[in-house]
Amino acid sequence: MIPRPPAVVFSMLAVACLAVALGAHRPLTASMSLHMLVQIPLLVLAGVFAERAVWHRGKTSTHEAASLKRKLWSYNEYGVPGLLLASLIGAAWMIPKALDDALTDWRVAAFKYVGLPIGGWVLGASVRRAPAIIQVFFLGNFCWMSAIVGMLYLDQPVRLCNAYSLSDQDWAGRGLIVLAVMLPLAWLWRRPRLF
Amino acid sequence: MRWFLALVLALLAGAGALYGLTDGFTAVTAESARRQAVARQPRPIHDARIINTKDGAASLLGELEADGRVAIVNFFYTRCISLCLAQGSVTQRVQEAIAAQGLQSQVRLLSISFDSRDRAPDLGRYASSMRADPAIWRFWSFEQSRQRDALLRQFGITVIPAPFGDFEHNAALHVVTPDGRLAGIVDLDEPGLALALAKKLSAPGKIRLAGQATALNESHAGAAAVVPQATGRKGSSHHRRGLAGTGGSSQKDPS
Repeated sequence: MIPRPPAVVFSMLAVACLAVALGAHRPLTASMSLHMLVQIPLLVLAGVFAERAVWHRGKTSTHEAASLKRKLWSYNEYGVPGLLLASLIGAAWMIPKALDDALTDWRVAAFKYVGLPIGGWVLGASVRRAPAIIQVFFLGNFCWMSAIVGMLYLDQPVRLCNAYSLSDQDWAGRGLIVLAVMLPLAWLWRRPRLF
Repeated sequence: MRWFLALVLALLAGAGALYGLTDGFTAVTAESARRQAVARQPRPIHDARIINTKDGAASLLGELEADGRVAIVNFFYTRCISLCLAQGSVTQRVQEAIAAQGLQSQVRLLSISFDSRDRAPDLGRYASSMRADPAIWRFWSFEQSRQRDALLRQFGITVIPAPFGDFEHNAALHVVTPDGRLAGIVDLDEPGLALALAKKLSAPGKIRLAGQATALNESHAGAAAVVPQATGRKGSSHHRRGLAGTGGSSQKDPS
């Protein structure tokens, strides 16, 4: 097999994530857990992979392009503004009303299908710029939030989403708690030099 | 400096998104959002063909107008064995309250089925099992599913199919005026509030009370006494609920 340049691989991954999230939107939004824990992450990953692909291509770019890029990057120093934006977008999609409205309000649906890939792009670009301590700060905040929201979902005796059943809400809650455990593990696996 | 500018922009963009999604930081569930939206701005409802317990078809708006009373509406289906039963017993209590307070000429109750299997005999059976007084409490169903879906969407009722032919749905008491406006949505836990709102809306009852100056004044005074209490309690109930803004209204149905 011919080794492919990473840019091509990441482009293909981005397209695949987007294709699944859009193509299977009906089954994926039929349940709360799939909506929150599969479709939304796929849209974010599409953005992350697309940014990776562009970054790999950019490594061979001209001097002028590189200097312009540096200038633009000074707006996202240490990735802090980008990570803040990504965190707030992450928080927004833990609101039950957002999940309900994404099914009924085209504006919220547009925010989901456009905003999440953009958020993923910003997230990917910012994580690369961020030192480990800043990554840990934002990752910790997100996981803490995810775990608390997951426990709240599990704890609620009433439905929070009009479009989803109570048992489904429980599964979404469990999934968010698992996410809160898996994300730091994945982060540690990617940064073995810490130990 | 640039970094700070970007940080502020990110914060504004994120906070703006949260603001938009939560109706200005007031609602985290669609259920509380629809209640607040209606409280802010009553909405006119579409017409739909309805069938009643006597197998007659009529227009919903026509019926509301011809009757002239403010209606407290809820949505159900006759095969339901959980949430609708709770809703039914709440409505029974409201029926008793209406009779006890002599409000039959001002307020009535409507239970509308969203299940296309529910026809006149089903509605009739359900009405008698609920010991409904036909002068106060009527049972309807929709003739056409397309009109039903449009009306449910307007009311903000989401019905999702559940196993074994059941449904899960959100429930509340909807106060609808004779001119066909959805004027308020009240939690099932607060039937007194729904009745107070219905009473207040029927208080100007110029049609029925025309020429009876004293009666008109009385009912206005009564309404004035009810309003502050009603709005005050409504506000506090929203605060109390916090995240679970749905209250007890949308429990899992086929439990």
